[in-house]
Amino acid sequence: MPELRTSSADSSTVMASGGEPRIRVRGLGKHYGALEVFRNIDFDVGEREIVAIVGPSGCGKTTLLRCIDGLLPHDAGEIRVGREIVTEPIAGVAMVFQHFGLFPWKTVYENVAYGLRMAGASKADVERKVPEFIKLVGLSGFEKAFPYQMSGGMQQRCGLARALAVEPNVLLMDEPFAAVDAQTREILQFELLRIWEERPTAMIFVTHSIEEAVLLGHRVIVLKGRPSSIHETITIDLPHPRTRDTLREPRFAELRERVWGTLMREAREAEFVLER
Amino acid sequence: MSQSAVTSAAPPAVKPEAKHVWLPAAFLPRLITGVVILLAWEFIVRALAPAYVAKPSTVALAVPRVIADPAFLAATGATLAAVAQGLAVALFFGTVIGLMMGRSPLAERAVRHYVNGFYAVPMIVVLPLFSLWFGYSSGTRVATIIFAAIFSIIINVADGARSVPREYMEVARSFRAGRLSMLTGIVLPSSMPYLLAGFRLAAGRALIGAVVAEFFLSVGGLGYFILYNSRSYKHSEAFVGVLLLAAFGVAFELLVQWMTRRFMPWYRRDERGG
Repeated sequence: MPELRTSSADSSTVMASGGEPRIRVRGLGKHYGALEVFRNIDFDVGEREIVAIVGPSGCGKTTLLRCIDGLLPHDAGEIRVGREIVTEPIAGVAMVFQHFGLFPWKTVYENVAYGLRMAGASKADVERKVPEFIKLVGLSGFEKAFPYQMSGGMQQRCGLARALAVEPNVLLMDEPFAAVDAQTREILQFELLRIWEERPTAMIFVTHSIEEAVLLGHRVIVLKGRPSSIHETITIDLPHPRTRDTLREPRFAELRERVWGTLMREAREAEFVLER
Repeated sequence: MSQSAVTSAAPPAVKPEAKHVWLPAAFLPRLITGVVILLAWEFIVRALAPAYVAKPSTVALAVPRVIADPAFLAATGATLAAVAQGLAVALFFGTVIGLMMGRSPLAERAVRHYVNGFYAVPMIVVLPLFSLWFGYSSGTRVATIIFAAIFSIIINVADGARSVPREYMEVARSFRAGRLSMLTGIVLPSSMPYLLAGFRLAAGRALIGAVVAEFFLSVGGLGYFILYNSRSYKHSEAFVGVLLLAAFGVAFELLVQWMTRRFMPWYRRDERGG
């Protein structure tokens, strides 16, 4: 549906961030052997912008995010973060994983400290920042707990604190709340919004939940097809800060239906389930 | 809210099942089995064997005598010291080689067949070679212990290093961990359960290696003590040595269990669920 396609990713980026884009993805393509996962991915993310990526299961959105983090090589196009061209994980970019990725042999404190230590932070820095970020995500008092002693929601708070602690200017979120129960998920979404308002960064948020994408994103990118490509980019003009009231706004419902419609049109190939 | 999300953040309580072991229902069958074995042994030996053959009553009488014997204590000390030395060397090099094998396909290809081959070689057949190289000495005993112990550590650590969950490596890479930091900070701790399993096997094999070496080399130690006493028709004394070896096996197992609980509280907790 060409008439629905937004004119260009760049114009809306500038609108949302009012400056140079932090992430610039151009002509990105990726194969797994003979299987082409996605092609011709072009988009920007502003300095203080959340871009949500939705798409049916298996459309390659997680692969796309791993390419942007430099965990996977891409085989066409270019990714730039700031001035750097991404070929491997770079400083200033932190990822939050669907699987939490906490180390079971480390306590909450040590897990949160991991990123800082790898970044070569001084001992004093670690001792100052780790408690700060544990507090920010609401885990104070659990510094000495091991991951196995915590619920999924708390584990992901820990994963979030670990990523935030390196004070990245790009946050990559790979379906971070997909493995927690519905109530916890909602709580974490608003926690994330609160934290982002406090410390805005460029963020790419991959999800299969349309509501989550609309609630969090300044823009929602819809990936579709095999190989997938950007089917549409929808600007979410809901005001910030977004709260629980945002969910009840008629405009929220409208935008959610719009994304839903985009995904479902010719959706024979996808078993896409609208959450809630 | 974070409070309500907590399931159990308090330090893990002692599991109530741990105490059941000492309840009569669980303890009684063990006791009965033991008593039956001892009684059968006692009466069969009394009825059929010459007087010098060890039986529970004479072994029990020999215990205080043997334990007070300085020669016995020196022998035990020598064997344990050799086992500790050999195990330490085997643990260090076994872990290093195992980590390399598990993480590098090149290292794996290079040493895999040798490791598996040597693992299957009985230590008794390498003893004559070792005694040519190192003499009839305690050096040969340590070499035998290392040979006996190292391959089960290598094989287990390599397995552990190979099966590090992909997610951990991904997180480490995402946070730009260096190669060495990944090996020591992620691969090694993640392989700890495997390493411990290998170490337990290795400890048993090391003890066997020590005794076999002492038998073959006549180097002073618990093995030689057992050999010497049984050849002098002091079977009961020899048997005290045998019992002590068995006790070491049990004690080591308990030590490893305690260390696991003390230093790796996270291990095997995931099975209990959040």
